[in-house]
Amino acid sequence: MERLLIFVETKGDRPRKVSMELLSEGQKLRTQGYAVEALVMGKASEALKQEVLPCVDRLVSLTDAVLQSYTAEGYALALANHVRSINPKLILAGATQIGRDFLPRVAVMLGAGIASDATEIRWKEDPVKIIRPVHGGRALSQVSFLNYPAIITTRPNSFPLEAQAGTPGEYVEKDAAMSVEDVKAKVVKVEEVTKGKVDVTEADVIVTGGRGMKGPENFVMLEELAALLGGVVGATRSVVDAKWRDQQDQVGKSGKTVSPKLYIAVGLSGAIHHIMGMDTSKVIVAINKDEKANIFNYADYGIVGDLFEVVPAMTQDIKKRLGK
Amino acid sequence: MNIVVLAKQVPDPEAFVEIRGDGTGLEIEPKFATNLFDEFALEEALRIREKHGGKVKVVTLGGGKATEVLRTGIAMGADEALLLDDPAFFDGDGYATALALSRAIKKDPFDIVLCGKQATDDDRGEIGPMVAQFLNLPHVGGITKLEIADGKATAESPVEGNKAVVEVPLPAVFTTAKGLNEARVPLITGVMKAMKMQIPKATPSELGLSQEELGKAGSKVRIERYLPPKKRAGVRLITGDAAEAAAEAVRILVDETRVI
Repeated sequence: MERLLIFVETKGDRPRKVSMELLSEGQKLRTQGYAVEALVMGKASEALKQEVLPCVDRLVSLTDAVLQSYTAEGYALALANHVRSINPKLILAGATQIGRDFLPRVAVMLGAGIASDATEIRWKEDPVKIIRPVHGGRALSQVSFLNYPAIITTRPNSFPLEAQAGTPGEYVEKDAAMSVEDVKAKVVKVEEVTKGKVDVTEADVIVTGGRGMKGPENFVMLEELAALLGGVVGATRSVVDAKWRDQQDQVGKSGKTVSPKLYIAVGLSGAIHHIMGMDTSKVIVAINKDEKANIFNYADYGIVGDLFEVVPAMTQDIKKRLGK
Repeated sequence: MNIVVLAKQVPDPEAFVEIRGDGTGLEIEPKFATNLFDEFALEEALRIREKHGGKVKVVTLGGGKATEVLRTGIAMGADEALLLDDPAFFDGDGYATALALSRAIKKDPFDIVLCGKQATDDDRGEIGPMVAQFLNLPHVGGITKLEIADGKATAESPVEGNKAVVEVPLPAVFTTAKGLNEARVPLITGVMKAMKMQIPKATPSELGLSQEELGKAGSKVRIERYLPPKKRAGVRLITGDAAEAAAEAVRILVDETRVI
Protein backbone atom coordinates (compact mmCIF):
# COMPACT_ATOMS: atom_id res chain seq x y z
CA MET A 1 0.00 0.00 0.00
CA GLU A 2 1.36 3.40 -0.90
CA ARG A 3 1.78 5.82 1.93
CA LEU A 4 1.24 9.57 2.04
CA LEU A 5 2.54 11.86 4.73
CA ILE A 6 0.80 15.16 5.36
CA PHE A 7 2.63 17.81 7.36
CA VAL A 8 0.09 19.56 9.57
CA GLU A 9 0.92 23.20 10.19
CA THR A 10 -0.79 24.76 13.15
CA LYS A 11 -2.20 28.15 13.98
CA GLY A 12 -2.77 28.44 17.71
CA ASP A 13 -3.87 24.94 18.72
CA ARG A 14 -5.69 24.18 15.46
CA PRO A 15 -4.53 22.95 12.06
CA ARG A 16 -4.15 25.66 9.44
CA LYS A 17 -6.79 25.76 6.77
CA VAL A 18 -4.38 24.66 4.06
CA SER A 19 -3.47 21.62 6.17
CA MET A 20 -7.17 20.73 6.44
CA GLU A 21 -7.43 21.05 2.65
CA LEU A 22 -4.67 18.45 2.31
CA LEU A 23 -6.22 16.26 5.00
CA SER A 24 -9.53 16.37 3.07
CA GLU A 25 -7.59 15.20 0.04
CA GLY A 26 -5.96 12.52 2.18
CA GLN A 27 -9.29 11.30 3.51
CA LYS A 28 -10.51 10.73 -0.06
CA LEU A 29 -7.29 8.93 -0.99
CA ARG A 30 -7.63 6.57 1.99
CA THR A 31 -10.57 5.00 0.19
CA GLN A 32 -8.43 4.64 -2.94
CA GLY A 33 -5.74 2.42 -1.51
CA TYR A 34 -3.41 4.91 0.14
CA ALA A 35 -2.32 4.74 3.74
CA VAL A 36 -2.43 8.32 5.02
CA GLU A 37 -0.30 9.60 7.86
CA ALA A 38 0.01 13.07 9.34
CA LEU A 39 2.81 14.72 11.28
CA VAL A 40 2.55 17.66 13.64
CA MET A 41 5.36 19.45 15.47
CA GLY A 42 4.64 19.62 19.20
CA LYS A 43 1.90 17.96 21.23
CA ALA A 44 -1.44 17.92 19.43
CA SER A 45 -4.34 19.66 21.20
CA GLU A 46 -7.68 17.88 21.59
CA ALA A 47 -9.17 20.26 19.02
CA LEU A 48 -6.46 19.39 16.51
CA LYS A 49 -6.86 15.66 17.08
CA GLN A 50 -10.59 15.93 16.53
CA GLU A 51 -10.09 17.60 13.19
CA VAL A 52 -7.15 15.57 11.95
CA LEU A 53 -7.72 12.00 13.15
CA PRO A 54 -10.85 11.27 11.04
CA CYS A 55 -8.78 11.99 7.92
CA VAL A 56 -5.79 9.77 8.63
CA ASP A 57 -4.68 6.31 9.67
CA ARG A 58 -2.16 7.77 12.07
CA LEU A 59 -1.13 11.15 13.42
CA VAL A 60 2.35 11.43 14.88
CA SER A 61 3.31 14.32 17.11
CA LEU A 62 7.00 15.09 17.63
CA THR A 63 7.41 16.45 21.13
CA ASP A 64 11.06 17.53 21.21
CA ALA A 65 11.68 20.86 22.92
CA VAL A 66 13.80 22.04 19.99
CA LEU A 67 10.71 21.92 17.78
CA GLN A 68 8.75 24.31 19.97
CA SER A 69 9.67 27.31 17.83
CA TYR A 70 9.89 27.10 14.09
CA THR A 71 13.33 26.92 12.55
CA ALA A 72 13.89 25.62 9.03
CA GLU A 73 16.77 23.41 10.18
CA GLY A 74 14.84 21.86 13.07
CA TYR A 75 11.65 21.19 11.16
CA ALA A 76 13.54 19.88 8.13
CA LEU A 77 15.65 17.44 10.10
CA ALA A 78 12.68 16.19 12.13
CA LEU A 79 10.54 15.67 9.04
CA ALA A 80 13.34 14.02 7.04
CA ASN A 81 14.07 11.58 9.88
CA HIS A 82 10.39 10.76 10.17
CA VAL A 83 10.17 10.16 6.42
CA ARG A 84 13.09 7.73 6.65
CA SER A 85 11.24 5.80 9.34
CA ILE A 86 7.88 5.46 7.58
CA ASN A 87 8.97 5.59 3.93
CA PRO A 88 6.05 7.43 2.29
CA LYS A 89 5.75 7.88 -1.44
CA LEU A 90 4.72 11.51 -1.21
CA ILE A 91 5.04 14.20 1.42
CA LEU A 92 2.42 16.95 1.27
CA ALA A 93 2.44 20.32 2.98
CA GLY A 94 0.87 23.73 2.53
CA ALA A 95 2.81 26.23 0.44
CA THR A 96 2.79 28.66 3.35
CA GLN A 97 5.76 30.81 4.29
CA ILE A 98 6.88 28.00 6.63
CA GLY A 99 6.14 25.18 4.19
CA ARG A 100 8.01 26.85 1.37
CA ASP A 101 10.86 27.70 3.72
CA PHE A 102 11.78 24.30 5.16
CA LEU A 103 10.61 21.67 2.67
CA PRO A 104 13.32 22.49 0.08
CA ARG A 105 15.83 21.54 2.82
CA VAL A 106 13.99 18.26 3.35
CA ALA A 107 14.24 17.61 -0.39
CA VAL A 108 18.02 17.98 -0.25
CA MET A 109 18.30 15.81 2.87
CA LEU A 110 16.35 13.03 1.19
CA GLY A 111 17.66 13.56 -2.35
CA ALA A 112 13.99 13.98 -3.26
CA GLY A 113 12.18 16.02 -5.89
CA ILE A 114 9.93 18.87 -4.84
CA ALA A 115 7.06 20.61 -6.63
CA SER A 116 6.39 23.93 -4.90
CA ASP A 117 3.13 25.86 -4.77
CA ALA A 118 1.00 23.33 -6.66
CA THR A 119 -2.59 24.15 -7.50
CA GLU A 120 -3.65 20.68 -8.69
CA ILE A 121 -2.55 17.08 -8.20
CA ARG A 122 -3.68 14.43 -10.70
CA TRP A 123 -3.62 11.35 -8.51
CA LYS A 124 -5.06 8.95 -11.04
CA GLU A 125 -2.24 9.40 -13.52
CA ASP A 126 0.93 7.35 -13.32
CA PRO A 127 3.26 8.91 -12.40
CA VAL A 128 1.21 11.42 -10.42
CA LYS A 129 1.13 14.77 -12.24
CA ILE A 130 1.39 18.07 -10.46
CA ILE A 131 0.24 21.38 -11.88
CA ARG A 132 1.94 24.55 -10.69
CA PRO A 133 1.70 28.12 -11.95
CA VAL A 134 4.86 29.75 -13.33
CA HIS A 135 5.62 33.28 -14.56
CA GLY A 136 3.12 34.71 -12.10
CA GLY A 137 0.33 32.45 -13.35
CA ARG A 138 0.72 33.27 -17.05
CA ALA A 139 1.39 29.59 -17.73
CA LEU A 140 0.94 26.34 -15.84
CA SER A 141 3.69 23.78 -15.65
CA GLN A 142 2.84 20.08 -15.47
CA VAL A 143 5.55 18.20 -13.63
CA SER A 144 6.17 14.68 -12.38
CA PHE A 145 8.81 13.04 -10.23
CA LEU A 146 11.57 10.75 -11.44
CA ASN A 147 11.86 8.95 -8.12
CA TYR A 148 10.24 8.72 -4.70
CA PRO A 149 9.82 9.87 -2.02
CA ALA A 150 8.91 13.26 -3.40
CA ILE A 151 7.49 16.42 -1.92
CA ILE A 152 4.58 18.64 -2.94
CA THR A 153 3.60 21.95 -1.36
CA THR A 154 0.14 23.20 -2.26
CA ARG A 155 -1.14 26.74 -2.61
CA PRO A 156 -3.75 27.62 0.06
CA ASN A 157 -7.36 27.66 -1.18
CA SER A 158 -6.57 25.37 -4.14
CA PHE A 159 -8.10 22.16 -2.77
CA PRO A 160 -11.65 21.87 -1.42
CA LEU A 161 -12.25 21.70 2.32
CA GLU A 162 -14.52 18.72 2.64
CA ALA A 163 -13.29 16.47 5.41
CA GLN A 164 -16.10 14.35 6.80
CA ALA A 165 -16.74 12.39 9.94
CA GLY A 166 -14.86 9.10 9.85
CA THR A 167 -13.21 6.45 11.97
CA PRO A 168 -10.46 8.25 13.83
CA GLY A 169 -6.92 7.06 13.20
CA GLU A 170 -4.33 6.41 15.85
CA TYR A 171 -2.51 9.20 17.71
CA VAL A 172 1.12 8.71 18.69
CA GLU A 173 3.51 11.01 20.51
CA LYS A 174 7.15 10.52 19.75
CA ASP A 175 10.43 12.03 20.81
CA ALA A 176 12.49 12.54 17.66
CA ALA A 177 15.70 12.47 19.73
CA MET A 178 16.79 15.83 18.39
CA SER A 179 19.30 17.89 20.30
CA VAL A 180 19.86 21.64 20.44
CA GLU A 181 23.10 21.16 18.47
CA ASP A 182 21.03 20.10 15.48
CA VAL A 183 19.74 23.64 15.10
CA LYS A 184 22.13 26.54 14.70
CA ALA A 185 19.45 29.21 14.33
CA LYS A 186 17.97 30.55 17.55
CA VAL A 187 14.55 32.15 17.64
CA VAL A 188 14.93 35.22 19.83
CA LYS A 189 11.26 36.15 19.82
CA VAL A 190 8.09 35.93 17.80
CA GLU A 191 5.92 39.01 17.80
CA GLU A 192 2.28 38.50 17.05
CA VAL A 193 1.74 41.42 14.76
CA THR A 194 -1.77 40.54 13.71
CA LYS A 195 -3.18 38.43 16.48
CA GLY A 196 -6.00 36.15 15.42
CA LYS A 197 -6.27 37.76 12.00
CA VAL A 198 -6.78 35.52 8.98
CA ASP A 199 -3.87 35.79 6.58
CA VAL A 200 -4.78 37.03 3.08
CA THR A 201 -3.49 33.75 1.61
CA GLU A 202 -6.10 31.77 3.55
CA ALA A 203 -9.06 34.16 3.39
CA ASP A 204 -12.21 33.13 1.50
CA VAL A 205 -13.05 36.71 0.68
CA ILE A 206 -10.62 39.56 0.03
CA VAL A 207 -11.56 43.17 -0.54
CA THR A 208 -8.51 44.95 -1.92
CA GLY A 209 -8.12 48.69 -2.19
CA GLY A 210 -5.78 50.58 -4.50
CA ARG A 211 -4.74 54.18 -4.99
CA GLY A 212 -8.32 55.06 -5.85
CA MET A 213 -9.10 54.83 -2.12
CA LYS A 214 -7.46 58.28 -1.90
CA GLY A 215 -6.16 57.83 1.66
CA PRO A 216 -5.66 55.32 4.49
CA GLU A 217 -8.69 56.58 6.40
CA ASN A 218 -11.05 55.42 3.64
CA PHE A 219 -10.09 51.76 4.10
CA VAL A 220 -12.58 51.64 6.99
CA MET A 221 -15.18 51.24 4.26
CA LEU A 222 -13.42 48.15 2.93
CA GLU A 223 -12.89 46.78 6.43
CA GLU A 224 -16.63 46.97 6.99
CA LEU A 225 -17.47 45.19 3.74
CA ALA A 226 -14.81 42.54 4.31
CA ALA A 227 -15.90 41.89 7.90
CA LEU A 228 -19.49 41.46 6.75
CA LEU A 229 -18.37 38.79 4.29
CA GLY A 230 -16.05 37.07 6.76
CA GLY A 231 -13.07 38.25 4.74
CA VAL A 232 -10.03 40.45 5.02
CA VAL A 233 -8.71 43.60 3.37
CA GLY A 234 -5.87 43.38 0.87
CA ALA A 235 -3.70 46.14 -0.55
CA THR A 236 -1.87 46.94 -3.76
CA ARG A 237 1.83 47.69 -3.95
CA SER A 238 1.35 51.44 -4.31
CA VAL A 239 -0.89 51.53 -1.26
CA VAL A 240 1.71 49.63 0.78
CA ASP A 241 4.53 51.81 -0.55
CA ALA A 242 2.54 54.87 0.50
CA LYS A 243 2.32 53.27 4.00
CA TRP A 244 -1.48 53.29 3.95
CA ARG A 245 -1.58 49.57 4.67
CA ASP A 246 0.72 46.90 6.12
CA GLN A 247 3.15 44.95 3.92
CA GLN A 248 1.61 41.69 5.18
CA ASP A 249 -1.62 42.55 3.34
CA GLN A 250 0.00 43.20 -0.04
CA VAL A 251 -1.36 41.11 -2.89
CA GLY A 252 0.79 40.75 -6.00
CA LYS A 253 4.18 39.80 -7.33
CA SER A 254 6.20 41.36 -4.53
CA GLY A 255 3.54 40.55 -1.94
CA LYS A 256 1.36 37.47 -1.57
CA THR A 257 -0.39 35.20 -4.02
CA VAL A 258 -4.02 34.59 -3.13
CA SER A 259 -6.87 32.39 -4.39
CA PRO A 260 -10.01 33.35 -2.47
CA LYS A 261 -13.56 32.42 -3.46
CA LEU A 262 -14.38 36.07 -3.92
CA TYR A 263 -11.96 38.90 -4.72
CA ILE A 264 -13.33 42.43 -4.81
CA ALA A 265 -10.88 44.88 -6.41
CA VAL A 266 -11.70 48.43 -5.43
CA GLY A 267 -10.10 51.50 -6.98
CA LEU A 268 -7.12 49.63 -8.36
CA SER A 269 -5.99 49.70 -11.98
CA GLY A 270 -4.83 46.10 -12.24
CA ALA A 271 -1.11 46.41 -12.93
CA ILE A 272 0.31 43.12 -14.15
CA HIS A 273 2.23 42.79 -10.86
CA HIS A 274 -1.07 42.83 -9.05
CA ILE A 275 -2.85 40.45 -11.44
CA MET A 276 -0.07 37.88 -10.87
CA GLY A 277 -1.03 37.73 -7.21
CA MET A 278 -4.80 37.25 -7.57
CA ASP A 279 -5.60 35.78 -10.97
CA THR A 280 -6.46 32.36 -9.52
CA SER A 281 -9.29 33.81 -7.40
CA LYS A 282 -12.58 32.04 -8.16
CA VAL A 283 -14.82 35.08 -8.68
CA ILE A 284 -13.40 38.56 -9.26
CA VAL A 285 -15.45 41.73 -9.00
CA ALA A 286 -13.86 45.03 -10.01
CA ILE A 287 -15.04 48.49 -9.08
CA ASN A 288 -13.28 51.34 -10.83
CA LYS A 289 -14.31 54.66 -12.28
CA ASP A 290 -12.07 54.20 -15.32
CA GLU A 291 -13.74 51.82 -17.75
CA LYS A 292 -10.37 51.25 -19.47
CA ALA A 293 -8.70 50.02 -16.27
CA ASN A 294 -6.80 46.78 -16.88
CA ILE A 295 -8.50 45.10 -13.93
CA PHE A 296 -11.66 44.75 -16.04
CA ASN A 297 -9.73 42.43 -18.38
CA TYR A 298 -9.31 40.01 -15.49
CA ALA A 299 -12.62 40.36 -13.70
CA ASP A 300 -15.81 38.32 -13.93
CA TYR A 301 -18.00 41.25 -12.99
CA GLY A 302 -17.29 44.94 -13.28
CA ILE A 303 -18.89 48.12 -12.07
CA VAL A 304 -17.72 51.33 -13.71
CA GLY A 305 -18.48 53.91 -11.08
CA ASP A 306 -17.46 55.88 -8.04
CA LEU A 307 -16.25 53.47 -5.40
CA PHE A 308 -17.25 55.91 -2.66
CA GLU A 309 -20.86 55.39 -3.72
CA VAL A 310 -20.74 51.76 -4.89
CA VAL A 311 -18.97 50.20 -1.90
CA PRO A 312 -21.30 51.63 0.81
CA ALA A 313 -24.30 50.67 -1.34
CA MET A 314 -23.02 47.09 -1.63
CA THR A 315 -22.41 46.96 2.12
CA GLN A 316 -25.97 48.11 2.80
CA ASP A 317 -27.42 45.59 0.35
CA ILE A 318 -25.42 42.72 1.79
CA LYS A 319 -26.52 43.67 5.31
CA LYS A 320 -30.12 43.49 4.14
CA ARG A 321 -29.56 40.17 2.39
CA LEU A 322 -27.85 38.63 5.39
CA GLY A 323 -30.45 40.11 7.72
CA LYS A 324 -27.86 42.03 9.72
CA MET B 1 32.84 40.00 5.54
CA ASN B 2 32.77 38.00 2.32
CA ILE B 3 29.30 38.11 0.91
CA VAL B 4 27.99 36.02 -1.97
CA VAL B 5 24.81 37.07 -3.75
CA LEU B 6 22.94 34.59 -5.93
CA ALA B 7 21.04 36.51 -8.56
CA LYS B 8 19.05 35.75 -11.67
CA GLN B 9 18.09 37.57 -14.83
CA VAL B 10 14.39 36.89 -15.48
CA PRO B 11 11.88 37.89 -18.13
CA ASP B 12 10.46 41.33 -17.43
CA PRO B 13 7.14 40.89 -15.61
CA GLU B 14 5.47 42.71 -18.51
CA ALA B 15 6.97 40.39 -21.17
CA PHE B 16 4.52 38.26 -23.15
CA VAL B 17 4.58 34.61 -22.23
CA GLU B 18 3.12 32.13 -24.69
CA ILE B 19 2.98 28.39 -24.67
CA ARG B 20 4.54 26.70 -27.68
CA GLY B 21 2.00 24.85 -29.85
CA ASP B 22 2.93 21.38 -28.62
CA GLY B 23 3.12 22.51 -24.99
CA THR B 24 6.79 21.53 -24.67
CA GLY B 25 8.07 24.98 -23.92
CA LEU B 26 7.38 28.66 -23.50
CA GLU B 27 7.94 31.46 -25.97
CA ILE B 28 8.89 34.50 -23.96
CA GLU B 29 9.29 38.00 -25.30
CA PRO B 30 13.01 38.87 -24.99
CA LYS B 31 12.72 41.62 -22.39
CA PHE B 32 14.70 41.02 -19.25
CA ALA B 33 15.14 42.40 -15.77
CA THR B 34 16.94 41.52 -12.55
CA ASN B 35 14.74 39.31 -10.43
CA LEU B 36 12.99 41.74 -8.09
CA PHE B 37 13.84 39.81 -4.91
CA ASP B 38 17.51 39.52 -5.92
CA GLU B 39 17.75 43.32 -6.08
CA PHE B 40 17.09 43.40 -2.35
CA ALA B 41 19.83 40.78 -1.87
CA LEU B 42 22.34 42.82 -3.91
CA GLU B 43 21.50 46.01 -2.06
CA GLU B 44 21.75 44.36 1.35
CA ALA B 45 25.13 42.85 0.47
CA LEU B 46 26.47 46.28 -0.48
CA ARG B 47 25.14 47.83 2.72
CA ILE B 48 26.78 45.12 4.83
CA ARG B 49 30.10 45.69 3.04
CA GLU B 50 29.82 49.45 3.51
CA LYS B 51 29.40 48.92 7.25
CA HIS B 52 31.70 45.97 7.91
CA GLY B 53 34.12 45.93 4.97
CA GLY B 54 34.86 42.89 2.83
CA LYS B 55 33.87 41.84 -0.64
CA VAL B 56 30.64 41.22 -2.52
CA LYS B 57 30.57 38.52 -5.19
CA VAL B 58 27.59 37.99 -7.48
CA VAL B 59 26.98 34.52 -8.86
CA THR B 60 24.52 33.41 -11.51
CA LEU B 61 23.76 30.32 -13.57
CA GLY B 62 22.52 30.52 -17.14
CA GLY B 63 23.36 31.35 -20.73
CA GLY B 64 22.80 34.32 -23.02
CA LYS B 65 21.31 37.26 -21.16
CA ALA B 66 21.90 35.63 -17.76
CA THR B 67 25.24 37.41 -17.47
CA GLU B 68 23.47 40.80 -17.48
CA VAL B 69 22.52 40.34 -13.84
CA LEU B 70 26.23 40.10 -13.01
CA ARG B 71 26.89 43.38 -14.80
CA THR B 72 24.00 44.95 -12.91
CA GLY B 73 25.54 43.74 -9.66
CA ILE B 74 28.96 45.12 -10.58
CA ALA B 75 27.39 48.41 -11.68
CA MET B 76 25.65 48.68 -8.31
CA GLY B 77 29.00 48.18 -6.60
CA ALA B 78 29.76 44.47 -6.27
CA ASP B 79 33.46 43.56 -6.40
CA GLU B 80 33.42 40.23 -8.19
CA ALA B 81 31.23 38.08 -10.38
CA LEU B 82 31.05 34.42 -11.34
CA LEU B 83 29.13 32.91 -14.22
CA LEU B 84 28.08 29.28 -14.58
CA ASP B 85 27.27 29.15 -18.28
CA ASP B 86 28.22 25.62 -19.30
CA PRO B 87 25.13 24.14 -20.98
CA ALA B 88 25.42 21.16 -18.60
CA PHE B 89 24.15 23.49 -15.86
CA PHE B 90 20.97 24.46 -17.74
CA ASP B 91 17.36 23.36 -17.40
CA GLY B 92 17.80 21.88 -13.97
CA ASP B 93 15.18 21.73 -11.26
CA GLY B 94 15.74 23.45 -7.92
CA TYR B 95 17.85 20.54 -6.67
CA ALA B 96 20.34 20.41 -9.54
CA THR B 97 20.58 24.19 -9.73
CA ALA B 98 21.11 24.60 -5.98
CA LEU B 99 23.78 21.88 -6.03
CA ALA B 100 25.76 23.76 -8.69
CA LEU B 101 25.35 27.12 -6.95
CA SER B 102 26.36 25.71 -3.57
CA ARG B 103 29.61 24.40 -5.09
CA ALA B 104 30.25 27.75 -6.73
CA ILE B 105 29.77 29.49 -3.37
CA LYS B 106 32.25 27.11 -1.70
CA LYS B 107 35.04 27.96 -4.15
CA ASP B 108 36.22 30.76 -1.83
CA PRO B 109 35.73 31.43 1.88
CA PHE B 110 32.48 33.27 2.63
CA ASP B 111 30.49 34.55 5.60
CA ILE B 112 27.10 35.42 4.19
CA VAL B 113 25.01 34.18 1.28
CA LEU B 114 22.07 36.32 0.15
CA CYS B 115 19.50 35.58 -2.54
CA GLY B 116 15.94 36.58 -3.36
CA LYS B 117 13.24 34.47 -1.76
CA GLN B 118 12.12 33.34 -5.19
CA ALA B 119 12.61 34.07 -8.87
CA THR B 120 9.65 35.58 -10.62
CA ASP B 121 9.88 33.22 -13.62
CA ASP B 122 9.91 29.69 -12.18
CA ASP B 123 8.36 30.86 -8.91
CA ARG B 124 9.89 27.85 -7.14
CA GLY B 125 11.47 29.63 -4.20
CA GLU B 126 13.62 26.58 -3.50
CA ILE B 127 17.18 27.73 -4.19
CA GLY B 128 17.97 29.61 -0.95
CA PRO B 129 16.91 26.88 1.51
CA MET B 130 18.40 24.16 -0.72
CA VAL B 131 21.74 25.92 -1.02
CA ALA B 132 21.78 26.30 2.77
CA GLN B 133 21.16 22.57 3.16
CA PHE B 134 23.82 21.61 0.61
CA LEU B 135 26.26 23.81 2.54
CA ASN B 136 24.94 22.46 5.85
CA LEU B 137 24.31 26.00 7.09
CA PRO B 138 21.39 27.67 8.82
CA HIS B 139 19.17 29.98 6.82
CA VAL B 140 16.48 32.53 7.51
CA GLY B 141 13.88 32.92 4.80
CA GLY B 142 12.10 36.02 3.52
CA ILE B 143 13.98 38.47 5.72
CA THR B 144 12.93 42.11 6.10
CA LYS B 145 15.77 43.20 8.40
CA LEU B 146 19.35 42.04 8.92
CA GLU B 147 21.95 43.11 11.49
CA ILE B 148 25.48 41.74 11.64
CA ALA B 149 27.57 41.84 14.83
CA ASP B 150 30.21 39.65 16.51
CA GLY B 151 30.12 36.85 13.97
CA LYS B 152 26.37 36.56 14.32
CA ALA B 153 23.42 37.80 12.35
CA THR B 154 20.03 38.80 13.64
CA ALA B 155 17.28 38.66 11.05
CA GLU B 156 13.62 39.50 11.07
CA SER B 157 11.26 37.48 8.95
CA PRO B 158 7.50 37.71 8.79
CA VAL B 159 5.91 34.28 9.27
CA GLU B 160 2.18 34.03 8.61
CA GLY B 161 1.33 37.36 10.11
CA ASN B 162 3.84 37.12 12.95
CA LYS B 163 7.32 38.60 13.01
CA ALA B 164 10.10 36.22 14.03
CA VAL B 165 13.46 37.52 15.18
CA VAL B 166 16.10 34.87 14.56
CA GLU B 167 19.78 34.80 15.51
CA VAL B 168 22.20 32.69 13.49
CA PRO B 169 25.96 32.19 13.69
CA LEU B 170 27.86 32.99 10.47
CA PRO B 171 28.29 31.68 7.87
CA ALA B 172 24.60 31.59 7.05
CA VAL B 173 22.17 31.98 4.16
CA PHE B 174 19.40 34.57 3.96
CA THR B 175 16.62 34.90 1.42
CA THR B 176 15.34 38.40 0.91
CA ALA B 177 11.82 39.80 0.70
CA LYS B 178 10.24 43.13 -0.03
CA GLY B 179 10.60 45.56 2.85
CA LEU B 180 14.29 44.79 3.48
CA ASN B 181 15.61 47.83 1.60
CA GLU B 182 15.29 49.93 -1.53
CA ALA B 183 17.78 48.94 -4.18
CA ARG B 184 20.11 51.71 -5.37
CA VAL B 185 20.35 52.89 -8.95
CA PRO B 186 23.85 52.24 -10.37
CA LEU B 187 26.09 55.24 -10.94
CA ILE B 188 27.41 55.82 -14.45
CA THR B 189 30.96 55.00 -13.29
CA GLY B 190 29.68 51.66 -12.05
CA VAL B 191 27.97 50.97 -15.34
CA MET B 192 31.20 51.75 -17.22
CA LYS B 193 33.18 49.41 -14.99
CA ALA B 194 30.59 46.67 -15.44
CA MET B 195 30.62 46.99 -19.22
CA LYS B 196 34.38 46.57 -19.37
CA MET B 197 34.62 43.75 -16.88
CA GLN B 198 35.73 40.30 -17.97
CA ILE B 199 33.35 37.93 -16.22
CA PRO B 200 35.06 34.83 -14.79
CA LYS B 201 33.38 31.48 -15.34
CA ALA B 202 33.41 28.12 -13.62
CA THR B 203 32.95 24.78 -15.36
CA PRO B 204 31.32 21.70 -13.86
CA SER B 205 34.67 19.96 -13.41
CA GLU B 206 36.13 23.00 -11.63
CA LEU B 207 33.24 22.66 -9.18
CA GLY B 208 33.87 18.93 -8.82
CA LEU B 209 30.60 18.03 -10.50
CA SER B 210 29.84 15.49 -13.19
CA GLN B 211 27.38 16.05 -16.05
CA GLU B 212 25.00 13.48 -14.53
CA GLU B 213 24.58 15.58 -11.38
CA LEU B 214 23.68 18.73 -13.25
CA GLY B 215 20.92 20.37 -15.23
CA LYS B 216 18.22 18.15 -16.62
CA ALA B 217 20.26 14.99 -16.00
CA GLY B 218 20.65 15.76 -12.30
CA SER B 219 17.03 16.81 -11.77
CA LYS B 220 14.51 14.99 -9.63
CA VAL B 221 11.53 16.75 -11.18
CA ARG B 222 10.62 16.62 -14.85
CA ILE B 223 8.63 19.35 -16.59
CA GLU B 224 6.34 17.41 -18.91
CA ARG B 225 4.51 20.23 -20.59
CA TYR B 226 3.01 23.66 -20.19
CA LEU B 227 -0.70 24.36 -20.08
CA PRO B 228 -2.60 27.60 -20.45
CA PRO B 229 -4.10 29.06 -17.28
CA LYS B 230 -7.86 28.93 -16.90
CA LYS B 231 -9.37 31.73 -18.96
CA ARG B 232 -12.20 33.85 -17.64
CA ALA B 233 -15.25 34.31 -19.81
CA GLY B 234 -14.68 38.06 -20.04
CA VAL B 235 -16.03 40.73 -17.80
CA ARG B 236 -19.76 41.24 -17.40
CA LEU B 237 -20.26 44.93 -16.81
CA ILE B 238 -23.04 45.81 -14.42
CA THR B 239 -24.74 49.02 -15.47
CA GLY B 240 -26.99 51.53 -13.76
CA ASP B 241 -26.30 54.15 -11.12
CA ALA B 242 -24.24 53.26 -8.06
CA ALA B 243 -27.18 51.95 -6.04
CA GLU B 244 -28.59 49.87 -8.90
CA ALA B 245 -25.21 48.44 -9.88
CA ALA B 246 -24.39 47.61 -6.25
CA ALA B 247 -27.73 45.84 -5.78
CA GLU B 248 -27.28 43.85 -8.98
CA ALA B 249 -23.71 42.89 -8.03
CA VAL B 250 -24.88 41.64 -4.64
CA ARG B 251 -27.74 39.72 -6.26
CA ILE B 252 -25.28 37.99 -8.63
CA LEU B 253 -22.85 37.13 -5.85
CA VAL B 254 -25.60 35.73 -3.62
CA ASP B 255 -27.91 34.05 -6.13
CA GLU B 256 -25.78 33.19 -9.16
CA THR B 257 -22.21 32.58 -8.09
CA ARG B 258 -23.20 31.78 -4.50
CA VAL B 259 -19.94 33.03 -3.11
CA ILE B 260 -21.66 35.06 -0.38
